[in-house]
Amino acid sequence: MIAKKHVFSIAILAACVLGLVLSASAAEKLKVGFVYISPIGDAGWTYQHNLGRLALEKNLGDKVETKYIEKVPEGPEAERVIRNLAKSGYDLIFTTSFGYMNPTLKVAKMFPRKYFEHCTGYKTAKNVGTYMCRYYQGRYLAGIIAGKMTKSNTLGYVAAFPIPEVIRGINAYTLGARSVNPAIKVKVIWVNSWFDPGKEREASEALIAQGADVITHHTDSTAPVLTAEEKGVYAIAYHSDMSKYGPKAQLTAVTHNYGKFYTKVAQSVLDHTWKPEAVWSGIKEGSIKLTPINPVVPKGVVALVEKTTKGIADGTFKPFHGPIKNQNGKLIVAAGKSLTDKDLLGMNYYVEGVQGSIPK
Amino acid sequence: MDVAIVLKILIAAVAAGTPFVYAALGELVAEKSGVLNLGVEGMMLVGAITGFIAMAKTGSLLLAVASGMTAGMLMAAIFGVLTLTLMANQVASGLALTIFGIGLSAFLGLNYTSIALPGIPELPIPLLSDIPVLGKLFFSYDILVYGSLALFLLVSWFLYKTRAGLILRGIGETPKSAHALGYNVIRIRYLAVLFGGAMAGLGGVYLSVAYTPVWVEGMVAGRGWVSLALVVFATWRPLRVLFGAYLFGAITIAQFHVQGLGIDIPSQLLSMLPYLATILVLVVISRDLTAIRLNSPASLGITYHPENQ
Amino acid sequence: MGLLQAHCPGAAGTNVKTNNIQLIIRLLIPLGAVLLALLIGAVMLLSLGADPVSGYATMFRAAFGSLDGFSETAIKSIPLLLVGVGICIAFRANVINIGGEGQMVIGALLSTTAALAFPDLPSLVLIPVVLLAGAVGGAFWGAIAGALKAWFNVSEILSTIMLNIVAVQFMNFLLRGPMMDPAEVARGTGIPQTMRLSPNADLPILIEGMRIHLGVVIALGVAIGAYFLLWRTSMGFRLRAVGYNPDASRYAGISVPKNITAALAFSGAMAGIAGAILVFGSESHRMVTDGSSMGFTGSAGFNGIVVALLAGLHPLWSIPSALLFGGMLVGANALQRAAQVPSALIIALNGLIVVFVVSSEYFKQRAIPTIRVDGEMDGAEEGGANNG
Repeated sequence: MIAKKHVFSIAILAACVLGLVLSASAAEKLKVGFVYISPIGDAGWTYQHNLGRLALEKNLGDKVETKYIEKVPEGPEAERVIRNLAKSGYDLIFTTSFGYMNPTLKVAKMFPRKYFEHCTGYKTAKNVGTYMCRYYQGRYLAGIIAGKMTKSNTLGYVAAFPIPEVIRGINAYTLGARSVNPAIKVKVIWVNSWFDPGKEREASEALIAQGADVITHHTDSTAPVLTAEEKGVYAIAYHSDMSKYGPKAQLTAVTHNYGKFYTKVAQSVLDHTWKPEAVWSGIKEGSIKLTPINPVVPKGVVALVEKTTKGIADGTFKPFHGPIKNQNGKLIVAAGKSLTDKDLLGMNYYVEGVQGSIPK
Repeated sequence: MDVAIVLKILIAAVAAGTPFVYAALGELVAEKSGVLNLGVEGMMLVGAITGFIAMAKTGSLLLAVASGMTAGMLMAAIFGVLTLTLMANQVASGLALTIFGIGLSAFLGLNYTSIALPGIPELPIPLLSDIPVLGKLFFSYDILVYGSLALFLLVSWFLYKTRAGLILRGIGETPKSAHALGYNVIRIRYLAVLFGGAMAGLGGVYLSVAYTPVWVEGMVAGRGWVSLALVVFATWRPLRVLFGAYLFGAITIAQFHVQGLGIDIPSQLLSMLPYLATILVLVVISRDLTAIRLNSPASLGITYHPENQ
Repeated sequence: MGLLQAHCPGAAGTNVKTNNIQLIIRLLIPLGAVLLALLIGAVMLLSLGADPVSGYATMFRAAFGSLDGFSETAIKSIPLLLVGVGICIAFRANVINIGGEGQMVIGALLSTTAALAFPDLPSLVLIPVVLLAGAVGGAFWGAIAGALKAWFNVSEILSTIMLNIVAVQFMNFLLRGPMMDPAEVARGTGIPQTMRLSPNADLPILIEGMRIHLGVVIALGVAIGAYFLLWRTSMGFRLRAVGYNPDASRYAGISVPKNITAALAFSGAMAGIAGAILVFGSESHRMVTDGSSMGFTGSAGFNGIVVALLAGLHPLWSIPSALLFGGMLVGANALQRAAQVPSALIIALNGLIVVFVVSSEYFKQRAIPTIRVDGEMDGAEEGGANNG
């Protein structure tokens, strides 16, 4: 028994030494890990994050080494994957889905000397920062285009799950559209899935059948744009440029871009200046962009969009400025006021012009 | 809701139901021969990606359909070898096929995730499609939808009007007697399983080439399992499969329309309905012994090999 | 049910030498199947430009190369083992339970409800309570399929498939509605998750600094318990009798419907415990859904079937079998991290192993001519082999 014990401790000692050697040789490069919810090639959410990762690699060159793990479900599995990244020497870990929030915080507690950044969450900690984009700014701009381009005054919105992030987008889109065309109605269909091309198509078709002639979506596949192209209506894409799926249909796409942010965070870790922050960046920082607007959109509309973009960038214009009425016509933001970030984060009501109710 | 909307729901329901028609009719033939293949989801996925690749490379719908069917058949052949030659358990083999198909299709599709296909055009039948209301409802689909109707006619005719169909059903009932009468049970079951695979593959092709002409991992999204349920729901009758597929399509589409009209419904509870209905149908038909004897293959899922008898 | 039926070596009286050879064959053939699958996986790795040798080495190191890796593997194996053991039990009564996914979900939901209802019970009481609630939930969901089969003649294969989907939608409904974390509701952020459950229900960590927790011990205990249930109790005898020859059992006064229901209930209970362990052994100590069952179960409800098959449908052999699969899943992540291969390859590899394991049954049968369907000797012998 005693001999066995010795062998065991020697083995552990050897493992430790080996571990030290390995970590020493790897210490020069900053190892950055990314955890993705879906495969990288999906032309959607994860695709954009992966573009950000590649931009980070390009910008910082051999100062960093990045790796990703894709298709990690938001359950017990996420904890294991995040922990294993931390354990195998990754110093900075980006977790890029809402549901990774608790696992990220838990793992961060176990590895106090590693840095974590969680996308779309609202809880920070000593070594956990959060980041997300002000998608709603892009939505507002897209709403202006849609409001000008619709003939039926009916816009269709294919949405995944009723969480504030999605509801904010619906409301901003509606406000943007109604700012140029107060007769606009927005119809929303919830498909209860981030990613199901079949359902997204069926929902888009239902919206078109009910008179919507501009379709947009807060889901991950290209199906809504494809359906719009097939049915001869317009579409506003989300996440990434989908113009090759709908060259005629796509008016523009609201894209989110993380390259700059990822580079900045990695650099701050390299410089030992990293701080846990809740970063909410948008048009000003270049995180939210519209893709080139389809030539069918009149010059005047493009100019209006550009003007509003400038206003949002320099802070003189806020999409959620009063007066805003909710769905029932009740004034919720008085004229001259605008919603705070805290209000925006917990948004759980529709503004005037959106039809239907938010499912429970 | 006015007539135009109802009409649009029905037309959309037919399109949404078409992948089920293909996959479920194929599975029905396999099950009628006494083989339960739970690998429909996997076969549909592999069919979908293969058809998509062929379409992307050649632009020919015919080649897409042919390669999707071939791929489905190859998958079914794996199942056939496992269950008919190696006499492995059908349930386990079917599950294995699904797991394998999910991974294989994702692997094959790695370089095809960001390709857009033009889709396939609708083929309104001249004159007939100009009839008001009914013309649109019956005669304005793409060719694969018409193909699924042809398949329905073919399967119904084959099973109930031909001698070969009678033999197939006989094998599904009592393989032992069929064997005693000199029929090659294993060979006929192989054919039925391969047919099922080809049809599942074709259902997949419809999804990736016509319905939503993109390839994304796991895009069949549970439709294979629904197809399996539909066969039971239809108590192994082709006409009821057709009806069930369109009903399922209609419920999905109507649910979206109701939402678009602003009516709030608890969607999770609603999406349980088809499955609860299937369980209910299972209870009803399984109790009614005559219905079972008439329609459900008595030897379903039971491994048979002449040497063991 | 053909080949899934136990091919049990060693009838009474066969000499030890034959037994050993058969044991070796029993072990070698499934391992051969796994190796063959890995070989094809190597070709796929090559086609992606990755080095298969170092790739597999990475996998092995990550899963079994360190105490911490082994701890991860053990955790991953818990649901696989429990579902696998459940499959073994159901199988002995000649029912096939592919409802593990749904039973895990319902078990987890009921155990979560229990923890929400009695948060103040001391750990010594609360942990058994939540595990029991998990078992009851899973058993209930399994028993539905069992009763439908027993009294209405409904194929359990089809009904369990349907019940899986119903369970997932039910979970989504509860976690987005009545069971949602009040903090999420108040903040309006609406993550579909419950509140942080009572710390008294946390499964204790076994080794400081690692994730390995009491669930591993529970799973092992359940596996051994299932072995005793099947071969050392009259309940087990009745289950096996009904599976082996229902007509004779009926004649002997054993209620076939009751035992079929019981078999699926036991099988479901195992899955339900697995669901409870996933909730209370997790880092976040709450239940969360991503809208599918896979997110919660990690497909253990299906993979457990393969674990049981690889184990020759024996509860004790399921232990190494579950570890093998668990290790593969853990190693797969490491492989992805190291070689950046797409997740698709890992799923395909998993599928290949399943296909080869299923087909290996045939060769196993060919290699072992003495087939007995009765598990009595089989159990005793393998129990011994495992202990030795």
